Amino acid sequence: MIQVQGISKSFAGQPVLRDLSFEVPDARITALLGANGAGKTSCLRILCGLLRAESGQVLVGGIDPVRDPQGARRQLGVVGDREGLYERLTVVEYLDIFARMQGLSGAALKSALASVCEELELQKLWRRRMGGFSQGERMKVSLARALVHRPKHLILDEPTRGLDVLAVRLLRRTLLRLRSAGTAILFSSHVMSEVAELSDRVLVMSQGRIVGRGAPDELIAETGSENLEDSFVALAYGERTRVAEEVV
Amino acid sequence: MRGTSSMRGAKGNAKAMLQLKLMLPLLRKEFLEAWRDRRALIMAVSFALLFPAMIAGGSTFMIKKKAEEVTRVAVLGGAQAPLLTEQLDGPGLEVVSLDDGEPRSLLGQGYHLVLVVGDEFDQRYRDFLAPPLYVYVDSSNTSSGRAQRQLQERLGALQQLVVTQRLVARGVATQVLAPWKLEVRDVSTPSARGALLLAMVPGLLILTLFVASLATSVDTSAGERERLSLETLLLQPLPAWQIITAKMLAVASLGWLGALMSITALVLLMPLMPLAELGIQQATTLSGVFSMGLLLLPLALLVAVLQILLALRSQSFKDAQTQLSILQIAPLVLLMALDMAQVSLEGSWQLVPLVSHQQWLKDLLVGEVVSLPAMLAGSAVTLLCVVAAVLLGAKALRRESLLSAA
Repeated sequence: MIQVQGISKSFAGQPVLRDLSFEVPDARITALLGANGAGKTSCLRILCGLLRAESGQVLVGGIDPVRDPQGARRQLGVVGDREGLYERLTVVEYLDIFARMQGLSGAALKSALASVCEELELQKLWRRRMGGFSQGERMKVSLARALVHRPKHLILDEPTRGLDVLAVRLLRRTLLRLRSAGTAILFSSHVMSEVAELSDRVLVMSQGRIVGRGAPDELIAETGSENLEDSFVALAYGERTRVAEEVV
Repeated sequence: MRGTSSMRGAKGNAKAMLQLKLMLPLLRKEFLEAWRDRRALIMAVSFALLFPAMIAGGSTFMIKKKAEEVTRVAVLGGAQAPLLTEQLDGPGLEVVSLDDGEPRSLLGQGYHLVLVVGDEFDQRYRDFLAPPLYVYVDSSNTSSGRAQRQLQERLGALQQLVVTQRLVARGVATQVLAPWKLEVRDVSTPSARGALLLAMVPGLLILTLFVASLATSVDTSAGERERLSLETLLLQPLPAWQIITAKMLAVASLGWLGALMSITALVLLMPLMPLAELGIQQATTLSGVFSMGLLLLPLALLVAVLQILLALRSQSFKDAQTQLSILQIAPLVLLMALDMAQVSLEGSWQLVPLVSHQQWLKDLLVGEVVSLPAMLAGSAVTLLCVVAAVLLGAKALRRESLLSAA
């Protein structure tokens, strides 16, 4: 489980996150929704230990990423908003290197590599260098890298961006399988149909705050909307309008 | 108590070993990335081979120029002074006696000087009336000064000979005219003459460390930052100092091997260079080459980590390239400034990286012995600077502004 308690963050005096608290339970898919600039990426980076919150605390599987960044990172698999691949490496070299950095070796390493290769259908790409890969291929490799050490928590920043239908299906299948295996999954997205279909819980962010939380159906009911998209607009933009009015 | 503390020590050691083990795949990644970058390799190899070729070409040019340094003198009215014309001709002076011609046009026809012997030279010479000799020179010609000096020296020697003969004929002892006899003796050793020609080599070797590793250092820092793969790396359970160290080693490998390639090429080209004709013996020994390689190693690490540090501070890939290009010139400017200021580079200067390296390389290139304790102390200081730079680099990696849109 990922626990976030009262975190705040600002850049150049401009608050980005304001007293943010939420949980990402095990064996659940949690979606983080928000307009551009709502603070989603900053929030995810704090969970990974890349940024430091000015106040509050984050626990990843009970480990504080500030106190024990290496320990927390072993618990995490992260797919960022760009894939972060190395174009001069082959897929197998890339995955082997990152798996070893996570402490895998010997038979465990071999088994982990074989497993991600099969699960993410990487056989054809396995010995190819990654320069010139399509967006879908890049995402698959990036996801494989995040999963190769079988983390208990998975964080994905807009994972379906630029993917074709087949890649999205593969990603969906993988996330559902990981949920069944007990992984705590947090992902950000702008694709409402994706969120509605995949997520067990939704967190709606606006102006650095959580302005709505619950299952997709609950949010729809709460806002009296017809679908999740309308519900999101009502929560995110309605809150933004309210904050703006308060400031005026 | 003792048992508990020893157990803690063993645990600590095991943890450190595990951490180092985790660094090995990162090292592999950095080396694969660096050595598969064709653009960076071409740049490293080109520069590493280019400058020894330039030195070889330069020395050949020098000897060719030296061979061409023959002054061509046209003598007009030489029939008036046949002996003078005959005596002038010799090494370094090619004298051609012409019946007629115009000095200005002759100077345009490949003659450095035109010597005009007056019509009454013969008669005035016999009468001891100091007949005039006119030397025509085109001072806008770059070799005119050397030619004029050469002719005046030869004429001066002939004049001295004539005076001596005249005095001897009159019973005057020649010793009266020459209270002393001046002889110039060159005491420079071949290695010192070699040092003169090879003076620029240490600076160029140091420059090779920078140039050969530039593309890789930018790619592995500013490049990774721009491609956001640095973020992926920072998400791995590795301390920041290991990330910087792995990057430094990969970058330094290119710089160091580039410098080794330059040294090897230089030593291989030396037999082909006309060093003997310039009065230089090939003095670089095999152990000298080995020592040069060893002492360049800590410097290669320092250069690599400094380049990475600077590139990490840059705003973009392009900005990093610009900043590092300026950084490359800095050591050469420093070394040249010290050379021009004729600073005595003894004592504590031997501990200053770059300065000390230049001195040692200079000595080793011409076969001089370098003090081992001085080399060890200087290398230790360089390595301390490397450690400090790695720690600074680790701090830089923890900077939030390093991440995009942060």
